[in-house]
Amino acid sequence: MTAIAHAGTGAAAEPRPTSNATAAMRERVADAIQRGVGLRIIGAGTWLGAGRPVHASESLTTSDDAGITEYVPGDLTLTARAGTSLGEIRDATTAHGQWLALDPFGSDEGTLGATVATGSAGPLRTFFGSPRDLLLGVEFVTGAGVVARGGGRVVKNVAGFDLSRLFAGSWGTLGVITEVTLRLHARPEADESIAIAIDAATGPGRVRELLRRLPFVPYACEIANEPLARLIGCGDTVTALFRMGGNAEAVRAQRAALAELGSAREVNASVWQHLRAAEPEEAIVFRLSRLPIEIDATWADAAAIAASCSGTLVHAAPSRGVVRCIIPAEPTTDTTLAAAFGATSNATRIGERLPAELWELCSKTPVADRLSAGIKKTFDPHSILNYGILGEIV
Amino acid sequence: MTTATNSASGSYLYGVTSPSPSASAVAPGIDQSLADRLAEIVGARRVLYRPSELVSYTADALPSYRKEPGLAVFPGTRDELVAIVRELADRHIPFVPRGAGTGLSGGALAEGVVLIGLNRLSRIVSVDPENCLAVVEPGVVNVALSRAVAAHGLHYAPDPSSQAACTIGGNVAENAGGPHCLKYGVTTNHIVALTVVLPDGEVVKLGSPAGEHEGYDLVGAFVGSEGCFGIALDITVRLSRNPEAVRTLLADFMSLDSAARAVSAIVATGIISAALEMIDQATIRAVESSIYAAGYPTDAAAALLIEVDGATAGIERDVATIEALCMSNGARTVRIARDEADRVRLWQGRKKAFGAMGRVSSHLVVQDAVVPRTKLPDVLAELHRIGQENRVRICNVFHAGDGNLHPNIAYDAADADETARVHVAMGQIMRACVSAGGTITGEHGVGLDKLAYMDLIFSPDSLATMCALREVFDPERRSNPGKVVPLHACKEWHMAPHTRHAAR
Repeated sequence: MTAIAHAGTGAAAEPRPTSNATAAMRERVADAIQRGVGLRIIGAGTWLGAGRPVHASESLTTSDDAGITEYVPGDLTLTARAGTSLGEIRDATTAHGQWLALDPFGSDEGTLGATVATGSAGPLRTFFGSPRDLLLGVEFVTGAGVVARGGGRVVKNVAGFDLSRLFAGSWGTLGVITEVTLRLHARPEADESIAIAIDAATGPGRVRELLRRLPFVPYACEIANEPLARLIGCGDTVTALFRMGGNAEAVRAQRAALAELGSAREVNASVWQHLRAAEPEEAIVFRLSRLPIEIDATWADAAAIAASCSGTLVHAAPSRGVVRCIIPAEPTTDTTLAAAFGATSNATRIGERLPAELWELCSKTPVADRLSAGIKKTFDPHSILNYGILGEIV
Repeated sequence: MTTATNSASGSYLYGVTSPSPSASAVAPGIDQSLADRLAEIVGARRVLYRPSELVSYTADALPSYRKEPGLAVFPGTRDELVAIVRELADRHIPFVPRGAGTGLSGGALAEGVVLIGLNRLSRIVSVDPENCLAVVEPGVVNVALSRAVAAHGLHYAPDPSSQAACTIGGNVAENAGGPHCLKYGVTTNHIVALTVVLPDGEVVKLGSPAGEHEGYDLVGAFVGSEGCFGIALDITVRLSRNPEAVRTLLADFMSLDSAARAVSAIVATGIISAALEMIDQATIRAVESSIYAAGYPTDAAAALLIEVDGATAGIERDVATIEALCMSNGARTVRIARDEADRVRLWQGRKKAFGAMGRVSSHLVVQDAVVPRTKLPDVLAELHRIGQENRVRICNVFHAGDGNLHPNIAYDAADADETARVHVAMGQIMRACVSAGGTITGEHGVGLDKLAYMDLIFSPDSLATMCALREVFDPERRSNPGKVVPLHACKEWHMAPHTRHAAR
């Protein structure tokens, strides 16, 4: 502790020196600024082509800047370079009985930087929240070529304006994320999953209503339509999947309470991996969302889309009011889909992977308002970072 | 403020015999004409300008700073508030929003500028129990919201110790925490949407109460912006279900170190405690000799106040696990609250600890810093050393579960030498926490008090980036001027090196 008394004596000293890797990223952005080149920022590349069309002539890959920078299990925090895969983080934390409770759709090959940048979360969001809720700090290079940090490495922090949350879900349009610090959780004693067949029309509403009443929140609750239930090995009916965590006695009680919906079958934890991996390559993917109490209506919208586009996979998080549609891309689906999609106009529609004409039908450009446009201009004054991915007007 | 006139519109100023003593500090533009105009909006009674009237608004709950506003105005409706902000925008006059004034960083102090008191905007606009949402005005008192939704089996989770007085608007500005945020998260995790009047008078909606939101997380940016981004007109909060069962434990230890090790052991189990608080001996003794006596053992070096909540099923298992971990890490006894009254009493000692400290000396300075949990034993030892070196007594009562320290020092402000030593110690405490990998504030905010420490944790470029974000919301930097980011850090942004030789 002898160093403590001398720390911070030079007020203007850089609190944490910029790493070589971050400095290299800064040079790449600076070079692009100088040459007037737009950049498409890429992590593992699994989401390429998913967003709106990007005006970029070059790509900037972050996946080679990988590795865990700092992990002290007792602190339940982890700092890693943006290119670190979720799989690497899973392996490192599992060894200490911990996890990063983020299971975005897709695979664990995805990078941490991309997960944060896209604000991606999966079934565990029901209990643990999305990247914004687990994010403690972020380092980035802005489109002006400036290295900056928001937040820190501790679990509670209100120092300065919240740049971390601003970057979560900003889709790489404000800066290239270089390093991220996240909150981890200790694995519970018991972590079990069950499947319950429910009514195709009124089931989602009943599940929401039950969850609202029960004295616990499950780790995850996803309702799968018939084709999806079949695909992930849960039978031929609309199925509610629950994941429950805690001590063994608590989990037993949760299971008993959920059995009010129907007879519960134990399912292997791998069902969640199957669900995350359900979408075929090139599928059209979007989410519909309304207030939780309207879940039956939102589910019905998705069912209507599924009826006109065969093979559509649908799953819903009833307590959040969100329904996700996965439509296998067939050359013929586009026009039928456009009609079905158009009929959902009173829901919030969030595109994940859409053909160009559906992007136009989607919710209005989410960064058109004065504040968002001002933020984009401030952080990316030369319009070189993922320009267009959030529908920015050129 | 100019002297009184007896004009038709300004008759409320009649009788003022001398200008405000702080007239020299009053910002340009705060004059009779402004007072008249604001009185037209809110009524004469709601515009204060006399030093005797303003004295209540010269400090927040941190006694070390006093600043006199040039004028204070108290809108009673949202329309009045918007009209005030627009009037000030037209005149380019800076302002400071203020809730209940319970802040601990000097964040709500107005130095010669207009103070806008929001405590009259105290309407709970709507409660939607099925979707677990409520819309409130900024002046709604934190605990009043939880009371109002209790019949639905719901509550508002963030519970700062000042929750009986502090407002949700102030909580949003500060991103307030509280003992139970260990499990439930801080304010930013509970705000889903906001209607905000920007400093230029434009009214905007941020976020979406219905399901998901796409685009930049403007709610996340606004929460914790300490009044620098504008004023919330209404706030949509997420409500949490009341737990079916609550168990509160008090474990006492013969050393701070063993208490800190017990904290780590509990956190490592995967049981997410609702609260995990540490109280040191000096604080225990102050509490036990006050009207808030909670039955803490006065000979213990430290006590842990631990709460678990949730479903009844399985909770006793968690209690038993925690009890065993306390004992195996050196606890002398573990007491479990017998009933709700006992539980309230145990909490009363913790929540009123700072009040109890007030009995010890005339002044109390409370610090707020966060360190990684594993560094708690080292940092507590270092704080002890700092106290000895500076001959001040540092007491610790804090949120141990998330490493959020609140070292506090009781002292006599009339004693210049002691006051100076307290200030030196406070600076050393901050540096010790930063050196341990921590931060300079976990929940009280930067305000005025922590401005000087921002350079310790953020580079000039990071600070300039924060300034630039603020300027999107408030280009004239009129809303709560001079807070959060040191002024010297805000000058360079527009001359950032790469923008000068940019290709386009």
